[in-house]
Amino acid sequence: MLKYSLKRLSSSIVTLLIIISVVFILLRQMPIEGYFDNFEKVDQAMINAKLEQLGLNDPIPVQLWNFLVDLVHGDLGESARYSVGAPISGLIAKKAPISIKLGVLSMGLSLLLGIPLGAAMARGKGKFWDKFGTVYIVFINAVPAAVYHIFIQLYGTSFLGIPMLFDEKNLITWILPVCSMALGNTAYYAMWLRRYMVDEMNKDYVRLARAKGVSGQDIMMKHVLRNAFVPMIQYIPTSLLYTVCGSIYIESLYSIPGMGGLLVDVIGRQDNPMVQAIVMIYSCIGIVGLLLGDLLMGVIDPRISFVKKEGAR
Amino acid sequence: MENGNPILSVRDLNIKFNLRGRTLHALRDVSLDLYKGESLAIVGESGSGKSVFVKSFMGLLDANGWVDSGEILYNGEDLTKYKTEKQWLTVRGKQIAMVLQDPMTSLNPLKTIGAQIMEAIELHQNLRGEAARKEMLSVLTDVGINDPERRAKQYPHEFSGGMRQRVVIAIAVACRPQILICDEPTTALDVTIQAQILGLIRNLKEKYHLTTIYITHDLGVVANVADRIAVMYAGDIVEIGLCEEVFYQPKHPYTWALLSSLPQLGVKGEPLYSIHGTPPNLFNEVRGDAFAPRNPQALKIDFVKRPPYFSVSPTHKARTWLLDPRAPKIEPPEAVKKLATEGVKGYA
Repeated sequence: MLKYSLKRLSSSIVTLLIIISVVFILLRQMPIEGYFDNFEKVDQAMINAKLEQLGLNDPIPVQLWNFLVDLVHGDLGESARYSVGAPISGLIAKKAPISIKLGVLSMGLSLLLGIPLGAAMARGKGKFWDKFGTVYIVFINAVPAAVYHIFIQLYGTSFLGIPMLFDEKNLITWILPVCSMALGNTAYYAMWLRRYMVDEMNKDYVRLARAKGVSGQDIMMKHVLRNAFVPMIQYIPTSLLYTVCGSIYIESLYSIPGMGGLLVDVIGRQDNPMVQAIVMIYSCIGIVGLLLGDLLMGVIDPRISFVKKEGAR
Repeated sequence: MENGNPILSVRDLNIKFNLRGRTLHALRDVSLDLYKGESLAIVGESGSGKSVFVKSFMGLLDANGWVDSGEILYNGEDLTKYKTEKQWLTVRGKQIAMVLQDPMTSLNPLKTIGAQIMEAIELHQNLRGEAARKEMLSVLTDVGINDPERRAKQYPHEFSGGMRQRVVIAIAVACRPQILICDEPTTALDVTIQAQILGLIRNLKEKYHLTTIYITHDLGVVANVADRIAVMYAGDIVEIGLCEEVFYQPKHPYTWALLSSLPQLGVKGEPLYSIHGTPPNLFNEVRGDAFAPRNPQALKIDFVKRPPYFSVSPTHKARTWLLDPRAPKIEPPEAVKKLATEGVKGYA
């Protein structure tokens, strides 16, 4: 298990290095105008001086090496346009915690709702909960998210008297964004859990369990649910991390000072150091999610062996 | 075994299935007495209803199937009257246990072998904790698994097919049932393992005083294990008798055809005998003898009127008009006669 984890970890690091290099090299191909507020007005000498100061005249491999060395020391560089001269790590450290808290809460909520819903759908295939869930899932997938998010904000604030804008100190303002963010994942978990449970229910071992006299309730809880969870568990870390960094719309709707819109913002402003830092963070998150998913799956499913195959019979 | 009362008695059982709005008549007036301690084999081709028949003893018919009429008497109770899961749970495992065909898929891949056997023990033997564990280890030893302490902690994927089938049998036996149903227990196994598994079931039958029902289409299996044979065709038992009677004095044309197609009876260089045509479509009501359209020597009455059972001996009866005193004398095929006079190596 440890050996496997280390192996997976090292290949993850290689992947990360490749992503960083590609993004870094691509960003160096951007026009240099992005580094200046008033490009038309500065002369060539000043441009050269600035580029020299930023280290942009060095050959690209050297620049990349310098970036990586800084990275190892925890230095992500400085923002060029977004907040001129400010260290990027500081900027992100201010915004990330709120996004993470919101993401974890909404994720917890969607697991809490989605799993019982999916299980109820699978148990009563074609009955009330199945139909209810199907309508819900189709609704969530078919209607643009913006529509129901706005409705929730509108009616939530007017009927429940919850303030429109997010305030970290006021817990009641957390309710609407967390619920809104949970809607999509709830549908997703319910849909997949139902699907995997129905798959499991048709397997022979369920027939054998019935034949040996296990009650329907116990078959569901002790056999089917757990086995259906195996393929799902792989995606849970990834989906948590995407929830954390993917809530652009909801963060802007409730004016939440999170990470959500940051990447789009800095790309628009051509803030290259910020772009490369944020892309790197997101790729880290994605890679860690996949890694965790695989490891979790190995923990829950005994068929996945991390060591060399031992004689089975 | 014929003396004494039957442990299970099926009377005129009709089972139907609803498939896309059409009704399939899967079992047509099947009657059977199962005697305590005997070993009965039900043979027949795919779709003849043998699996459906035994599933109905345990209330395991698929959701679109139902018992249309008839009764299944067990311990004085009519199982066809059972409606709720709670009623069936008094039968499943406790009274009747089952071994399924494919051991590769019939165990839960995420639970240890030990846990899956313990589940049955806790349900049916009222043992808990250490006592249940001891019982589990002794059952594993009984089914011939070495080093049960270690094996019990392993998962199904760490076992070979034959070993898994032993585990499935251990689960069935751990329920301490009266009747053990083996639904093609060796079909998915290596030929070399088949004999071992059959031998194992036979030993366990003695040790645990079981009554066994084998479902199979392999007559080799039948000859090895069965006291009595029931031949099923198109949802009905067409012939039933002691093993020797069905093998050496078969009376129904379908049994003749079945025996003639044994590979061991083929003559080298000549194509193996095969039954022409296909079984009747059970969506339509079958008229007369269901086998008549495939029987080149069928009588006229076979197409009109369904034959009743004619007794050949107290233990042997068949549903064919050939046994009627008025019927013309039709000889069984050469291969069947050869079987009766010479016997076949490996068979009965």
